Amino acid sequence: MAQKILIVDDEAHIRMLIEQTLEELEDEGVEFITADNGEKALHLIQSEKPNLVFLDVMMPKMNGMEVCHKVKRELGLEGVFIILLTAKGQEFDRQKGQEVGADVYMTKPFDPEMILEKARQVLALS
Amino acid sequence: MSPLTLKSLLNKRSDFTAWLQSWQEMQGNALAVEDQHHQLIFGEAVAGQSESFPVNLNDEILGWVKGGPQARLIAQLMSLQLQKEAEKKKLGAEVLSLYQELNVIYNFSEKLSQTIEPEVIAKLTLEQAIHSIPSHSGVVVLWNEETKQLHIPARSGLPLFNEEKLRSQPGLLLKIGLGGQSEIVNEFDVLKDSGILEAPVQSLIYAAMKAKHRIMGAIILAGMEAEQYSAAHLKLLVTLALQSSTAIESAMLYEKNIREVREREEAILRIHEVTKKFVPSEFIRALGKDSLTDVMLGDQVGKNVTVLFTDIRDFTTLSEKMTPEENFRFVSAFNARLGPVIRAHRGFINQYLGDSIMALFPDAPEDALEASIEMQEAIQDFNLERSREGLQAIKAGIGLHTGPLIMGITGDEYRLDAATISDTVNTAARIESLTKYYRSPLLLSGDALLQIQQAERYHIRHLGKVQLKGKYNVLNIVECINGYPAEELQLKLRTLDYFNEAMSAYLNRDFGLAAEGFQQVLRLDPEDHAAKYFINIANKYQHQGVPDNWSGAEAMMHK
Repeated sequence: MAQKILIVDDEAHIRMLIEQTLEELEDEGVEFITADNGEKALHLIQSEKPNLVFLDVMMPKMNGMEVCHKVKRELGLEGVFIILLTAKGQEFDRQKGQEVGADVYMTKPFDPEMILEKARQVLALS
Repeated sequence: MSPLTLKSLLNKRSDFTAWLQSWQEMQGNALAVEDQHHQLIFGEAVAGQSESFPVNLNDEILGWVKGGPQARLIAQLMSLQLQKEAEKKKLGAEVLSLYQELNVIYNFSEKLSQTIEPEVIAKLTLEQAIHSIPSHSGVVVLWNEETKQLHIPARSGLPLFNEEKLRSQPGLLLKIGLGGQSEIVNEFDVLKDSGILEAPVQSLIYAAMKAKHRIMGAIILAGMEAEQYSAAHLKLLVTLALQSSTAIESAMLYEKNIREVREREEAILRIHEVTKKFVPSEFIRALGKDSLTDVMLGDQVGKNVTVLFTDIRDFTTLSEKMTPEENFRFVSAFNARLGPVIRAHRGFINQYLGDSIMALFPDAPEDALEASIEMQEAIQDFNLERSREGLQAIKAGIGLHTGPLIMGITGDEYRLDAATISDTVNTAARIESLTKYYRSPLLLSGDALLQIQQAERYHIRHLGKVQLKGKYNVLNIVECINGYPAEELQLKLRTLDYFNEAMSAYLNRDFGLAAEGFQQVLRLDPEDHAAKYFINIANKYQHQGVPDNWSGAEAMMHK
C-alpha cells in the first residue's frame, strides 16, 4: 500500500509549501493528504492511517497539541510519526510536546532541505 | 521540479479521477487512457475500431484517450486539467523559492543578531552571499570616512581580487558605477586593466552597503562563467547588503560607545589614583569608607596611633643658599626617600608641611620606631650622594609619640580637608623639636616606649623629663640610638651605661654624681651633646639647689 503523508496547517500557503518541498516523493509513490484544521486532521488520521503527519500547533478549533495527544495517547496510534510545527519566536513547551507524544518538533520558517530529509528518513526512502 | 505526467494526474486522489470513474460507470462506455508510450493507465483495453484522441500539455502529447466519440471531450478535459495542474505546480515552485530566500534572510538576521563585531558581520555576510549566490570569489570593502581609506574586512573563494591594488585605487570602483546603486556589472575591463580583477573573471555583481544615505562600502562577487548572475541574485544580494550595513553601523556605534565609556572610566580611575595621593587611602579606610566620594563632612574616628614627625635641621640656613626651584627639588628628593620607608612599615604620610613630614602608624608603635631607624639610614645614604656632588650633609630630627587621635573630615560645604585633631600630634611635634636641644636625631616619649613590645631589642638612652610649653603633665623622653652611623653607634654603646646611670643620679637629685657620670661619657665621646646639656644643668642645680617639689622635668618654653 502506498505510504501517506498528512499535512495539517490552517494556512494554505504553508500546506502548499510543504507539499511542494516534498514533491519528489510523489514520484516514489508517496501520497499527500491535507487538512486545514485539527478536527479534519483527526478524522483523516483515523481513516487514512498516514505514516507521517506534519502538524501545526497553532490552529483554531482543535490545536496540534490536542490532536497529537488524542492520536498518540487516546487512540494508541503509535505508528503514526508526528512532526509538530511551531512558528519561530513562539514559545514552545518541549516538555508538553513530549507529554502529548510528538516524535519531533520543527520551527517555521522551516528549512526545506531539513523537512525533505526528515520525511525520507521516516518513510525509510533513500 | 519534476515533469507532470498523465499518470500522476490520474494517480492523484483528485476530484477529477473520482469524476472520471463515476462518468464511466454512468455511461457504461468503454474508455481507456494510455500514456505517451501507449501503456494503459486507466480503464480497460478497447477493442478494434475505437478512436484515439491526444491529451496535450503545451503542444506536447502526454497520452491518449481511447473510446467512442465522447473520448474526444474527455481528452480535451484532461488537457485542461493538466494545464491547471501545471500552473499550480509552477506557482508552488515559485512560492517555495521565495520561501527559501525568506528562510535564508531569516537565518542570516539571526546570525547577525548574535555578533557585535563589524569584522565578524562582514565575514558572515560574505559567507552567506557566496552560499546563496554561487560565486568563485568575493570581498567586502568598507570605506573609512576618518582615515579616507578602503578597508577589506572579509574575503572568500579564489584570489580573483588583488586587494593591494583595490586599496590603492579606490576611485576605480566608482568608475564601474559603484556608487549608491547595486547591479550586475557588464563592463569591468577597467578593473582588469588596473590589475584589481584577475583575468578569469567573467561576471561581476555588487551591492552597495548604505547607512543613513551614507555609502559605507560594498559586497562584490565575481564569477568565472559568463552571465553567472541573475536579477534574483541581485535582489538577494541587495537584501543581504542592506541587513549587514545596518548591523555594521550599529556595531561600529556600539564599539564607539564602549570606547568612550572605557576612556571615561580610565579618566575617573586616574582622578581616583591622584586623589588617593592627596588624601591617604588609609585615612579613608580608617573612616570606614571605600572611596573619597563616600566621605562626608563630619566623618570621624578615634584611634590609638603613633605619630611621627620629622624635620630637616637648619633648613632655613640651607634654603637661603638655594633658589625656590632648587629648594622645592631638594625637599621633594628628601621626601621621595622617606615616603617609601614609612609605607614599608605600615605607616602613612598624613601631611607634608614644608620641610617636615607628619606620618601616622595605626598598628604598632614599633612600626614607627623601625621606620625611624631606617629613615636615619636613608638620610645617611642621601648624604653620601650629596657629598659626591659636593653638597653639604643634611640632618633631620625625628620625634615619636603614641596616644589617642581623632581623624576626621573638617571644613565647610565648599572646602573639605582630612584633618587629625589630637594632643598626640602636638606632643610628637614638640618632641621632634627637642632633638635640637640634645642634638639627638631620634627621640620618643616614654609613653611610646612603654607600648613597644620587646623594647630590649633597641638601645635606649634616658634623657630625663620635660614639661612642654602650655602643658601640665610631665613627659619622659628617651633616645633610640640604633640609627647612628656605625662609628658613632660604637661610642654611644660604650657610654650607654654611664649615661643611663648618670641620668638616674640626676633624677635622684644627686647632681654631683650625675655631673661626674656625664663627664665620664664626655671623656669617651666628646661630641655627646646630650651629656654636655645635662652637665650644665646638673652643675647649676648643684650650686643653686632645686625646689622640694622638683619633678626632674625641665620646662620647655619654646616650641
